[in-house]
Amino acid sequence: MDLLRLGLLGGVLGLDSTAVGQFMVSRPLVAGWLAGWVAGVPEFGVTIGAVLEVFLLVSFPTGGARFPEGSTAAVVAVGVAAPYESPDVVAGAVAIGLVWGQFGGWTVTLQRNVNGWLVPRANVAEQGVLARAHAVAVLIDFARGMIVTAAGIWLGRFALGFVGRAWRTDGSISSGVLFVGAVVSLGIMLHDLGGFRRRRILFVAGLALGIVGARFL
Amino acid sequence: MLLRSLVIQGVWNYRTMLGAGFAFALLPTLKRVFGDDPVALGQAIERHSEHFNAHPSLAPIALGAIARLETDGADSDTVRRFRTAVCGPLGGLGDTLVWATWLPLVAVCALVLYWFGAPGGGVALTFVVVYNLGHLGLRAWGLRLGLDSGRDVGARLTAADLGGVARRLQGPLALGLGVLCGVILASPEGLAAIGPVWVGFGSLAFLVGLVGGHRAWRPAAVLTVVVIAWFGLWGRFS
Repeated sequence: MDLLRLGLLGGVLGLDSTAVGQFMVSRPLVAGWLAGWVAGVPEFGVTIGAVLEVFLLVSFPTGGARFPEGSTAAVVAVGVAAPYESPDVVAGAVAIGLVWGQFGGWTVTLQRNVNGWLVPRANVAEQGVLARAHAVAVLIDFARGMIVTAAGIWLGRFALGFVGRAWRTDGSISSGVLFVGAVVSLGIMLHDLGGFRRRRILFVAGLALGIVGARFL
Repeated sequence: MLLRSLVIQGVWNYRTMLGAGFAFALLPTLKRVFGDDPVALGQAIERHSEHFNAHPSLAPIALGAIARLETDGADSDTVRRFRTAVCGPLGGLGDTLVWATWLPLVAVCALVLYWFGAPGGGVALTFVVVYNLGHLGLRAWGLRLGLDSGRDVGARLTAADLGGVARRLQGPLALGLGVLCGVILASPEGLAAIGPVWVGFGSLAFLVGLVGGHRAWRPAAVLTVVVIAWFGLWGRFS
């Protein structure tokens, strides 16, 4: 039953990524919380969503680019980890989310090719053609998001069930691997802002604030 | 038109990109202008269904300006040239302002709040509300700017200096990135608490991203997944 509910959520959030609104409820942080809420573990969902948000901070739905689908990654990761609700499975769930987010991105490309067939090359001005094309495309996109999400959770639970309980390291090493992988995105973001040399004063000031805040707050 | 602009990417495709969505958003205006001439209406719909690309949050600027041109009775060649001319600037400006600055700025602030101990649900809701204050505000402002300016929208857009707004927001974003790095480094569950070797790995990973840019993302993600899978399989079979 939760597979169906999480699949429906994946469908709705998949629409938000590009086709409808782009209110960014599809960002991993929000999608993780929503998926956790649906699965009955909202705070655990945000934890996974926050880690994925750092990974996907530099992934935007820009034009025709192929991008990892953050909503799919987050809903699948939370859906996979929710039955365990343990820090031990966070790393495995995030890994599954990252892989499935890439697959979700590939299905978005496929959807865009399908959309090309939905918009007729001629007679586009006929009564109702544009509205019908939009309605069909949105419906297909919803179904795409739902199926991709549900399939990812189903396969991911199988994979995590296979190895998850056997994770040989303690929770801190899981966190270490995740943080190390995620900070690459922070480096990329600083690169996009002009690099360290150009932003060094603000970046180092922020680093000091972050260290002090993390120690004393 | 503002509501319809929210589905401007509803049938995004590699042939016309936002073209069909653009015509769909403009349809009520076109029906009002050409309502008693079905041939002219058909030609206008076909004209606006052609290839169009812009950032979705700034597309209302073009929608407003073209609605104004069509209402004022501009000829089809002028409308077509104008439509082609605004594509590039609205795309590049929107990518810089929204995707590369506003969205990451709000996301980084939300992540910092979360790791400083704010409740997860509150952080997620705050992120959505703050992001959309900017996003929906920009759409509404853009549509009004386009409707008011018509063919002069370029000059009004230059005067609004959205590029300057993006540049001013990039400072706080660099500061926020620093704070987030500090939190990941020094929080009780952070890299420093796990061990000095992890601080070294983290610093190296940051440098890889800083030097490599976007080329570094996919290899880093693949390596992370491989390491996690290796640990999992090692535990399973040993």
